Amino acid sequence: MTRTEFRKYFDKGLVILDGATGTQLFKIGMPADACPEKWAVENPDALIAVQKSYVECGTDILYTFSMGGNVIKLAEYGLQPQTRELNRKLAELARQAVAGNALVAGDISSCGILLEPYGEITFEQSVESYKEQIRGLLEGGVDLFVIETMMDIQETRAALIAIRELCDLPVMVTMTYEDGMRTLMGTDPVTALVTLQSLGADAVGCNCSCGPAEMVDIIRAMKPYARVPLVVKPNAGKPRLVNGKTVFNMDADTFCSYAQALVDAGANALGGCCGTSPEYIKKLSAIAGKLIAQKPADATCAMASSGRRTVFIRRDQPLTVIGERLNPTGKKFLREALVQNDMDKVAQLAREQMDAGADLLDVNAGVPGLDEKKTLTDMVRAVMDAVPLPLCLDSSNPEALEAALRIYPGRAIINSVSGEKVKMERILPLAAKYGAMFILLPIDDGGVPETAEERIKIIQKVYETARSYGFSRKDILVDGVVMTVAAGGHAAGETLRVLEWCNNNGFNTVIGLSNVSFGLPARENINAAFLAMAVANGLTSAIMNPNSQQLMDIKRASDVLKARDLNAGEYIRHYSAQEAKGGQGQPAKNMPTVFDAVLNGMSGEIAGAVLADLDKGLSPKEIIDNSLIPAIRKVGELYEEKKYFLPQLIKGAEAMEKAMEVLTPYLDKEAGSGIGRKGTIVMATVKGDIHDIGKNIVALLLRNYGFEVIDLGKDVPADRIIQATKDNNADIIGLSALMTTTMTEMPKVAAMAADAGIKARIMVGGAVLDNEYAESFGAYYSKDAYSAVKLAESLIQGKD
Amino acid sequence: MESIKILRGIRPSYNRNLILTRLGYKRGVTGIGEDFGQLLDSTVKRAEDHCSLVLAYRVVGISENDGGTLRLEDGTVLSGKALSEMLSQSQKAVLMASTAGPRIMEEIRTLMDAGRASEAVIMDAAASEIADAGLDFLMEYIGAYLRRQGKALTKHRFSPGYGDFGIEQQAHFARLLEIEKLGIRMTDTCMLVPEKSVLAIAGIVDIKMD
Repeated sequence: MTRTEFRKYFDKGLVILDGATGTQLFKIGMPADACPEKWAVENPDALIAVQKSYVECGTDILYTFSMGGNVIKLAEYGLQPQTRELNRKLAELARQAVAGNALVAGDISSCGILLEPYGEITFEQSVESYKEQIRGLLEGGVDLFVIETMMDIQETRAALIAIRELCDLPVMVTMTYEDGMRTLMGTDPVTALVTLQSLGADAVGCNCSCGPAEMVDIIRAMKPYARVPLVVKPNAGKPRLVNGKTVFNMDADTFCSYAQALVDAGANALGGCCGTSPEYIKKLSAIAGKLIAQKPADATCAMASSGRRTVFIRRDQPLTVIGERLNPTGKKFLREALVQNDMDKVAQLAREQMDAGADLLDVNAGVPGLDEKKTLTDMVRAVMDAVPLPLCLDSSNPEALEAALRIYPGRAIINSVSGEKVKMERILPLAAKYGAMFILLPIDDGGVPETAEERIKIIQKVYETARSYGFSRKDILVDGVVMTVAAGGHAAGETLRVLEWCNNNGFNTVIGLSNVSFGLPARENINAAFLAMAVANGLTSAIMNPNSQQLMDIKRASDVLKARDLNAGEYIRHYSAQEAKGGQGQPAKNMPTVFDAVLNGMSGEIAGAVLADLDKGLSPKEIIDNSLIPAIRKVGELYEEKKYFLPQLIKGAEAMEKAMEVLTPYLDKEAGSGIGRKGTIVMATVKGDIHDIGKNIVALLLRNYGFEVIDLGKDVPADRIIQATKDNNADIIGLSALMTTTMTEMPKVAAMAADAGIKARIMVGGAVLDNEYAESFGAYYSKDAYSAVKLAESLIQGKD
Repeated sequence: MESIKILRGIRPSYNRNLILTRLGYKRGVTGIGEDFGQLLDSTVKRAEDHCSLVLAYRVVGISENDGGTLRLEDGTVLSGKALSEMLSQSQKAVLMASTAGPRIMEEIRTLMDAGRASEAVIMDAAASEIADAGLDFLMEYIGAYLRRQGKALTKHRFSPGYGDFGIEQQAHFARLLEIEKLGIRMTDTCMLVPEKSVLAIAGIVDIKMD
């Protein structure tokens, strides 16, 4: 079957797929521990009987029983040498079962191990593993392929690329989505659709994981952007725990009752997955004739994707910002980072640009002397790990571009394809193979044309060639070619004319903004003015610095003025948030009182508040007694009432500590003042225990409440605790332990203290402790940090 | 026994509210102002950036379960009534490990030393939640593969230290999961280093058809 025939196949109406085969084979005795593919080949009658029944029930496309038939998966059973043979036989059995009454789809699925960077399988190992399976299925005579139950978009791409590198048969691809409409690896349905249909999938959809009800929303989300048929294979509901057993419990009638909703949402093919049987397919098939499937239509906008997000580029929406800072040209620090392979720096630049509002990022690895292929792929991996934004792969090196396109887990934009012969011959085919969008740079072997008319001729020429590869206008961003205005002439004006022409002829556009000001002082002004002019002429995207506030301000304002930010929604949202953060237009905050600064944990402001009180003539003692201590007590009360939670309690203590730092020099001059020393506490996390954050918090609070704290740290032997208690004449020993294996150190410390004649009380805390355990060795228990403070105060008072 | 499978760099989704719960937040009672909310958000985000999750799992056979002790296929004996009860329908189980890695712990210590304890506790809670979310991810991931074999994981999982399943049994998990390859070590007192590491077991059960 050709891909064109496959597309026409859906003209007949709703296509019926098969249901679960594995479930049926388990029912008739396939052992749970057997390799399903091997068992089926050895028990052909059983398999054929199940598959035949699906065809008899109305299946139009039957899947081969080979989903685990890739080399890596079969290796778990030591069967990798039989990969090709098993798949060939399984395809032949399916052919036998359909007997010419249905199409046979070679079924491919995950190898069960995640690909790099998450797992241990490289992208190329995955492609090769699938290729061996595909060869077998081709030999067995499949009509098309299906890649199903995929969780990882990258592994899905590997399977699709493997098929495309071996044949031109149609391919259906379905991924499995969890609650929240994302695959387990974080890909949403639209992103999967955009990535896969551009990479050459002939139908896309979802299967497994959930029941038909949940899949309605998934298909509805995909439909507006789908230029291919949509495929749905739900489970018989979600597995549920019933009387201690896990069951699929949606019956066939209920299952089929969702068919109308699925077709209304956009489904073109329906079948069943786990828990379904021929009965489900029979009932589905019976109603299929009454369901009118919508034909796929082309999406109306350009779409680029990463593994986790899709960006839509269109002229009626806000300008798309492509971050320019991951280009080492003219950036010494980035060049040095790339030379040192410092990908943390690359990731940081990616995050900074995303936080500043970039929609996509341009990535360029052009450093003289560096291996561009390796550097570009390293950068792509680092950026993809750091941010969910789609990328512009900026290179004129075909080898580097192909390496990056291969491992890029979405639909990239290639920057760029020009009218130069070598670009047309080498880079355009790459864009087509990997389904990438591309930036059309209107220059040719004659150089950069000066006039808009000459550039438009090149645009038309490249576009015509691109069409022969299957590209449409929506797959292209035309570069206006920005030249510096420092050289004089009308460079900026020619670019604007190109943009205007593109806008009138249905092309999206892009400019490399900062080129316009090259060689001039105060470049930001020129850049900002040109950006506004370009937007006025229909610019749809710009490669620019998103960390320039001036540029981003102009962009947001231009979007409003060109009615691309409807009702100024984005503009208002952005600047309202800025104002709320105390940004522009916000009056300076009033100085808080010392009391309020502690109460609200304002460590940054409290020093000023304390100094202001001192300037007013208040003594340090007055500040402590009348502001700090009442405030920290109030914080404690709020914590006890659960109106504050732990970080707020601590924040109050931090503010108090800052205040005391300011007051300490004054206290020295004023003997006898201060919080006053309530007592001395030796604190330690016991021997063998390394979890000390709780103890640290208690120590911080105790200091704030006037205790002298000797903090011995964590994993502290009992003899050191005893010695420190003696040396400091401590009133209290505070011990923490998190585990049952370490809390047994506490009674040892208590026993040693008793033996040494130490009178200090022992207070303890930690996740596994309770009052009973503490009392068993004469200690006192506190459940949290603030209780520890109160306990310490009561122990001291009791002692007094 | 099946081989150990290792996954790195996963960023699992998690419930942010659970971080707040770990910190003592009580819905409808605790008030968080805007400034504090921003500190919370930015600190949790920094925690995400500092966590480098490494996950691992291994499927093991259960050769005996007498209701109080379990014998695994390699002869390892685990004891605990609640654990035995949870695995009563299982012939196989999955051992799992999740660690948030050492960087987050260094960052928590740095914050604590710098007197920024409030951020340290937020980060500490976030790291705990992210490490736990790693196990949630593993259970969903493994569950998705099992589903096509007509199997599922038990709804719950058990970690050493829960109920009567003693912490000292962590040593068995550590050995079977070869945790040193994940960058985790176990102390003599059965603590895991880095601290934000957790080991667990769940059972594999059959999915029945109605």
